[in-house]
Amino acid sequence: MAAPMLDIKELGKRFPARTGREPPPWIIQGMSFSVAAGELLTIVGPSGAGKSTLLNIIAQIDNASAGEIVFDGERIAGSDVKALHPGLNRRIGYVTQDDNLLPWRTTIDNVLFPCEVQGTLDDAARARAQELIGAVGLTGFERYYPHELSGGMRKRAALIRTLVYDPPMILMDEPFAAVDAQTRTQLQQDLLRLWSLKRKTILFVTHDITEAIALGDRSLVLTQRPARIAAEHPIPIPRPRNVKDIFAMPNFATIYERIRADVQ
Amino acid sequence: MRWRVWLDRLIVLVILLAAWQAGSLWLGNYWLSSPWAVATRFVASLLNGEMLFHASYTINEALIGCVIGGVPAVLLPFLLRRQPIVVAILDPFMVGGYGAPKLAFAPLFILWFGIGIESKIALVAAVVFFIVYFSTLSGVRALEPKLVQMAQVVGANERQVGRHIVFPGAVPAIFAGFRIAVPYAIGGAVIAELISSNRGLGYLVQTGAMNFDTTQVFVAIVAATIIVHAFIAVVDLGERFLLRWRPRGASLIVDHGT
Amino acid sequence: MSSADITAGLTESRTIPRQWLVNGGRFALAIALLLAWEWGARAFGPLFFAPPLATAQRIVEMAANGKLFTDIIATMRVSVVGFVIGCICGAGLPFILRPLPRVTAAVEPFIMASQGIPKYALTPWLILWFGIGDAPKVIVVTLFTFYITFITVFAGVRGVDQRLINMARIIGASERAIARKVIWVALLPFFFTGLKVALPRAVSAAIVGEFLVATEGVGFSIERARQLSDTTGVFAGIVVAVALVLIINAVVNALERHTLKWRPTDRDMQL
Repeated sequence: MAAPMLDIKELGKRFPARTGREPPPWIIQGMSFSVAAGELLTIVGPSGAGKSTLLNIIAQIDNASAGEIVFDGERIAGSDVKALHPGLNRRIGYVTQDDNLLPWRTTIDNVLFPCEVQGTLDDAARARAQELIGAVGLTGFERYYPHELSGGMRKRAALIRTLVYDPPMILMDEPFAAVDAQTRTQLQQDLLRLWSLKRKTILFVTHDITEAIALGDRSLVLTQRPARIAAEHPIPIPRPRNVKDIFAMPNFATIYERIRADVQ
Repeated sequence: MRWRVWLDRLIVLVILLAAWQAGSLWLGNYWLSSPWAVATRFVASLLNGEMLFHASYTINEALIGCVIGGVPAVLLPFLLRRQPIVVAILDPFMVGGYGAPKLAFAPLFILWFGIGIESKIALVAAVVFFIVYFSTLSGVRALEPKLVQMAQVVGANERQVGRHIVFPGAVPAIFAGFRIAVPYAIGGAVIAELISSNRGLGYLVQTGAMNFDTTQVFVAIVAATIIVHAFIAVVDLGERFLLRWRPRGASLIVDHGT
Repeated sequence: MSSADITAGLTESRTIPRQWLVNGGRFALAIALLLAWEWGARAFGPLFFAPPLATAQRIVEMAANGKLFTDIIATMRVSVVGFVIGCICGAGLPFILRPLPRVTAAVEPFIMASQGIPKYALTPWLILWFGIGDAPKVIVVTLFTFYITFITVFAGVRGVDQRLINMARIIGASERAIARKVIWVALLPFFFTGLKVALPRAVSAAIVGEFLVATEGVGFSIERARQLSDTTGVFAGIVVAVALVLIINAVVNALERHTLKWRPTDRDMQL
């Protein structure tokens, strides 16, 4: 069996103590799981359980207080590791809950921002960006500013901004939570389609069980604070999947019930 | 309905001008000059180059002072962005400088630099510096940490973060600072000229008064007022152009502090 | 400083050593400025730079022979009178305009345009009218104060929640009662902000006005010293002027904090 892309071992996190107060509670404690290369893993959990914190630690925006993380054979986080490398030198992409588009850049400039910053802004990059813009249906909106785009369009732009520089692993923090149900289904479908073309490793966090089942190869359930893995559910629904009709899939109801019971 | 408001405003304008004219007829040109006298003298001084001679002097003071005072005021918050301790150390001095009456230094600058343009530039620079510093500082501080994080995750280094995230985010605040500073800048230039100068709009006001030539006084004041509004209009235009990306409705209450 | 330190810094409370560093730095900077001042006096000569010690001595002299106090009183006399008149007009005009929306729309651009007039430039003309007494300075101070209070109160009056006014009308309150009880109370925070900004500005304006016309006062002393090439006098006067305005600023801020402490309603009116 191939080594996992990402291996999380007994991860723990708590925020630094304020002087003179009691030690703060653990937000994450004893969390262990691994992600295989090319897998789309979804993580379900109630809000506030530390999902974003987990992704922040993996993305190297925050430190681990305990345990360790091994990415592609390299130990990137641990309680003794103090230095952070956000994005791990562009190998870990991060699509956050807020689209975080730069309001003063047009769509195309926003999508090309990583290439600009990485010094890889050439014709190939521009072509790739244009292709991605077409793939998510944003053609014609290249010169629009974020405030002129709808919420769903901004999410798409944020998504392809991460895809344009091709990081091997992508973290996604409830990226589709803030849009209406119709748009969300469409975005989920777009994501699956794009993923099937490149087979990146994706770690997708959500509080929506349906979304977790529709997208994931496997689904992990988090406990309340302090967060750890409560259960693991392989999702045997065959691909390619049709997100709109996911409810009709044979195994959907059973998995849904099981996951819901675990979330409780 | 909109044209009705403009008609009302026209009526008010006519009433004001008529009252002025009536007052000047009653009291005499010495006290009030008159709309007609001011208008004709204004045009005459434009045509014979006198207005340009003096107004350009005042405008130069204001512009150069804005640059000398404004550029360090904009740069400092960016350079000190990662040094919050230095900013904290400087803070009471900056607050003191902001609260202190810079115009009170006018005699000192005239003592140091003479009655030439340098003393006026120094005064304008001092006035503009503190206003723009605080405006820019608040703009730099208000930057969204999530945008910075996003940039870091895609691989931006410190310099790139400053250039692509912090600076564009602070531009609205920088413009706001200059818009507030402009009237103070021109006011400072004029007061320095009033105290001691041999050229400029303030000089025209002073000599006009000394010669009991009220018309000249009014012409110079009108010119200065137009310049203030013109500068502000330029800043607004620049802001509107550079900030095309902003959603509508982000307007600010303007303080014309002359 | 890594990015994690930024986020950690937001949640972590800054421990004592940092505050010591900051205060120490401020003290060091103050000393450095004083030393620079002394060096300037030595390097550029007494005509351009009065040494700190001589400046301090002069201020003490001025205090001893009473000139310091007569100057301050003269300046404050002008500032306070102008400030009061300016406040009354600036706060009153929005109320007068409130029931006259058509007049307001017609007049507003003229008020805003007139704000661009450099007010100090009016002083020579005012001297023509009123002579070289206090009147020109008082008028200039009034104008400065007027615009500041007018803008803040006007914005406050316009910003009052229309629903509160409607509710008061339904209860049967007269327009005057509404003006007093609903609008005035709602815009008190704005009004105090305006006052807080206007008072130091009024004192500033009086000082600067004295450069142009005065027989006594803090600004007058500065300008007179300059004309006599009495550099020590100029420095001493400026120190007094700056200290005066900063102290008034501090007092006004302290007053605001104190009065807002026991008024719970103001906390709700976070306008």
